[in-house]
Amino acid sequence: MDIIDAHGHIGRWGAFAVADGSAESLVAMMDRCGVATACVSHLLAVGPDTRAGNALLVEALRAHPGRLLGWAVYQPHDPQGPERLRDLLDVPGVIGVKLHPEVHETALDDRAYTPAFEAAAEHGRLVLAHSQHGGAWSDARHFATVSPRHPGVPLLMGHAGLFPQGLRPAMEAAVRCPDLVLETCGSRMTARHLTRMVSGIGADRVAFGSDAVFLDLRTGLGRVLLADLPETDREQVLHGTMDKLLKGIV
Amino acid sequence: MTAVVDINRTLGPVPYDDVPGRDGTGLVAELDRLRIDAACVSHSYALHGDPRDGNDELTRVAHPRLWPVPVLVPGPLGTGPWAGGTPLVRLCPRQHGWDVTGPHARQLLAELAASGTTVLLPWDEVTTGEVHRLASAVPAPRTVLTGTGYRALRELAELLEAHPSLYVDTSTLCGHRQVEWVAERYGAHRVLFGTGAPATDDAGPRYLLDTLDLPPDDAALIAGGNALVLMGGGP
Repeated sequence: MDIIDAHGHIGRWGAFAVADGSAESLVAMMDRCGVATACVSHLLAVGPDTRAGNALLVEALRAHPGRLLGWAVYQPHDPQGPERLRDLLDVPGVIGVKLHPEVHETALDDRAYTPAFEAAAEHGRLVLAHSQHGGAWSDARHFATVSPRHPGVPLLMGHAGLFPQGLRPAMEAAVRCPDLVLETCGSRMTARHLTRMVSGIGADRVAFGSDAVFLDLRTGLGRVLLADLPETDREQVLHGTMDKLLKGIV
Repeated sequence: MTAVVDINRTLGPVPYDDVPGRDGTGLVAELDRLRIDAACVSHSYALHGDPRDGNDELTRVAHPRLWPVPVLVPGPLGTGPWAGGTPLVRLCPRQHGWDVTGPHARQLLAELAASGTTVLLPWDEVTTGEVHRLASAVPAPRTVLTGTGYRALRELAELLEAHPSLYVDTSTLCGHRQVEWVAERYGAHRVLFGTGAPATDDAGPRYLLDTLDLPPDDAALIAGGNALVLMGGGP
C-alpha cells in the first residue's frame, strides 16, 4: 500500500520547539512507518516569510523527488502573491495551494483568496486550507461559503475542524459541497472520530494527513491504521482519496 | 513479550461523547483491539462528578486488567487522609477547585510521598510554577505529568531536568519525535505510555509504541516496564 500523507510540513515553528524539522528527518520517519509520499508546505512560508519558505519548499522537492510533494503557500497580503503562486504551480512536484486563514488573519471566504482558487483552477491543482471550529477565519462555514464559488477545485479541509466539536459541522459542509475533502490530522482527533467521519460522509471524502513535522507522523498514521474501519475504507483514506485527486498532477 | 500498560485512562461514561469505555466490558474490548494488556483507570465520576463517588465506583471494578487510580482531594471536604491503598492516584486541583500549593495540599502530598504513592498530574490542572514548587518539596511524591501536549516541550524539558521525581506520559507528547527526544535526553525510565483516552486518542500513541526509534529495552520500558515498576508489578 502506497500511503500518502496529504498534510505535512518541513521547517520550524515559533510557538514551540521542533527539534529537527528537516526534510531528511521527515523522510526518515516516512521510511520508518511505510509512508510513500508526503504533501508538505514549508513552515517558514506558513509563518513570517512566504516567499523564502516557498523557495525552500522547492529545494526540498528537488532533493526528494517522488517522496515529497509540495503545497505552495499563498499569502493574501503579498501584492505579488497571485503571480508568484502561478509560477510555483508550474514547478514539478507542486500539487496545489496551502492557505492558512488563522495565521494570515484573513477569513477563508474573503475575496483576497480568489486569485489562489483561480490559479488552482487554471492549473488543475488542489487547495488545502487549515480549519478551526469556532474561529473567525477558518470555521466550516467559511469552507461551505467559498467552495461553491469554485466548482471543480478540490478543497481539503485540513484538520476537519480541528476540535472534536468541529467534526459534525465539517461533515455537514462536506455533504453540502461536493469538492470538499476532510483531512484527518490534529492533536485532538481520535480514532473514534475518524470512524464517524468515514461512516458519515464516506471514505472517498476523507484523506489521511499527519501534520508532521508539526506533529509526529506516527500518531496521525496510527489513528488510521488502528481505527475500527473496514479494510477497504482504511485503504481509501490512506491513499485512495489522494490517488484520485493527484491523478494527472503527478 | 513486552507488556503494554496504559498509565492514563478513564473508565465510565463522559459528558462530552458516547465512548466504548463507558463500562468495563467495553473498555476491555478496546484494550484487546489495540493490544494493550492493562490500563490504569480513574472513574469518570471522579473527573466529571464528585471524586468520592468516582472512587466508590472504582472499588466495584474487579477486572484484573483495569487497575484502579483514585482521584484525591485534600482537606476536610476532600477524599480523606491517604495512607496508601493503591500505588497510583490522580490529582485534578483545577477541576475540583483546590490549591495545589495550599496547606491542605501540602499535607496530602506529604502523605503521598510517605506512602510511596505515585501521582498522575494532568498538565492542564496546574501551572509550570506550581509543578516546580510541588516537585521541590521534601519529600516530593513521584509524579507523572500527563497530557503535556506537543507545544510545551521547552517547559517540560526544564521540569524534567530540574526534578528527578518527575515523569511524563506519551498521551499528547505528539510533536515530531518528541518521545524519542525526551527518552534520549532524560532517560526512557522517565517516559510512560499513556493515552488519556477517551478525551484524547488511544490509537495513535499505541501505534507509536510499535515504531519507536529507540533501543528495544528502552521501548519496552516506555510501553509498560516503567508502569509495572510504579505499580509494583500489578494492582
